[in-house]
Amino acid sequence: MPAEIIDGRKIAEEIREGLKGRVAKLEERKMTPGLAVILVGEDPASLSYICMIEREGEACGVYIQVIKLSSDIKQEQLEGKIEELNQDANFHGIILQLPLPKHLNALSAESKISPDKDVDGTNPISTGKLLLGEETFFPSTPYGVQQLLIRSGHDPTGKRVVICGRSNIVGKPLAAILMQKKVGANATVTICHTGTKDLASVTREADILIAAMGRLKSVTADMVKEGAVVVDVGINPVKDPETGKTKIVGDVDLDAVNERAAAITPVPGGTGPVTSVMLMENTVKAAELAEGV
Amino acid sequence: MCAKILDGRKLSAEIREELKGRVGKLKRKGITPGLGGILVGEDPGSVTYVGLKSKACDEVGVTEKVLRLPENITEEELLRNIQSLNQDLEIHGIFIQLPLPKHLSEEKVLAQILPQKDVDGFHPLNVGKAWLGQPAFFPAVVLAIQEMLIRYGYDLKHKDVVIVNVDNMVGKPLASLLVQDEEGAGANVTLCHPATPDLASCTRRADVLVVSVNKPNFITADMIKEGAWVIDFGSNWIEEPVTKKRKTVGDVDFEKVKEKAKAITPVPGGVGPMLVTMLLVNTVTAAERQAGG
Repeated sequence: MPAEIIDGRKIAEEIREGLKGRVAKLEERKMTPGLAVILVGEDPASLSYICMIEREGEACGVYIQVIKLSSDIKQEQLEGKIEELNQDANFHGIILQLPLPKHLNALSAESKISPDKDVDGTNPISTGKLLLGEETFFPSTPYGVQQLLIRSGHDPTGKRVVICGRSNIVGKPLAAILMQKKVGANATVTICHTGTKDLASVTREADILIAAMGRLKSVTADMVKEGAVVVDVGINPVKDPETGKTKIVGDVDLDAVNERAAAITPVPGGTGPVTSVMLMENTVKAAELAEGV
Repeated sequence: MCAKILDGRKLSAEIREELKGRVGKLKRKGITPGLGGILVGEDPGSVTYVGLKSKACDEVGVTEKVLRLPENITEEELLRNIQSLNQDLEIHGIFIQLPLPKHLSEEKVLAQILPQKDVDGFHPLNVGKAWLGQPAFFPAVVLAIQEMLIRYGYDLKHKDVVIVNVDNMVGKPLASLLVQDEEGAGANVTLCHPATPDLASCTRRADVLVVSVNKPNFITADMIKEGAWVIDFGSNWIEEPVTKKRKTVGDVDFEKVKEKAKAITPVPGGVGPMLVTMLLVNTVTAAERQAGG
């Protein structure tokens, strides 16, 4: 029996509807949630992601301003800009789009984002609070994965979750979210990676399997337990040999895994649409906190 | 087969000898490493433990300055005392003896320590940096566990490490240390709660099993894999059924498990004696860093 396809677009729409109501309440107080997006240079992947954020902002009623900085900007100038935005009451959230040009230190710049405005949770202080279970903003991709699971009826509470990939933007923060003794979490979490020997024997233990290694077809049918839920966070551009067009595919061998899994997120249309709406959710939350509601 | 006993007392003495050398080098540069501490109230366990720290400082040549504060101190007053240690140039590392009386917020108090002097590794910035794989201080217990494995010749890379404990003091920082792609780490890490469904199926996968739940005989021989390395960080004060003598035991059914494991830490004499020593390692490291090398 083929797996249930978890529809990320539909879930994103559900979350968006909820957000619109919260934005309307803020508007009654003459406040528009604002997000500053800092882009250094013109990395094409960043430009297309920012395009998506701008559309999402418009849909949710969040004001987005893209701050474009030249690729030869100095570290002090970049950090100065962040300090300036920290003080600017029009913005409740600030994100720094990565990758940065090689001469810039991303972590040092991210450390300058005020924790109250760190809506992508990239300041190490936010990371620490996340791991300690304190109040903070969750990075949007792993936050989206948690929401996808909960809202599709696959609450991770008490489940065996295996996360393949230990990146600082997906694998580690997702592990940190799901291991907390909290509602919608409290899972038994395993973090493994591409170097893991006999990865399949680990992944077959999973009730919920997260593929976040960034490798095409790295999760195959033999790695999935019958009836598992598979979440695919991979984004791999592939050129179609016939049309020559580039399309995005995930880390999971969808056709094969489809026969074993109980549910699966597609790429595109799975975690992607939820990621951008969670960024808006965090921005709205930051605005509510600033307004004291 | 009988397991190798991982002798924490012996390793601890060995590491203290090495520390004396490092302290000597610093002293030749005119720097004496200093450990500042705060003890609130007169909890007998805490008083004893602070005494152990003082003695160890003496032994390796670290100056020690403990502020003994009354049980009913206000949070404001306590924070001022932390500030004074933060500003004290002769103090390179600071610990706050836990637990604190109930009217004081541990979260707030621990976040007050200057991160570069936070030798217990509890400040959110240290926790965050550690999780992100940046240089940071780790709590003594997790360093102790890593050090014991390394010094007894165990290579953690690609091994399955299962930790039964998801607390901020043990499970999370240990995962944070062992999951990184670094020397002496690079493991697949699973964090289990004592109440994880079918816990034995998790623990039986472990090449290294770490347990800290404070329940005697919690880990039985059927829960471990033949040849596993077992680290017991439990501490239970029990009465021997026959002799009626009171004694300390760990969380592992030691006699039976040692027949099946490849190596095991005893209780007492395992991880425990390493704790104060690892705090001193952090303190000396902090002094070296603050001295610029």
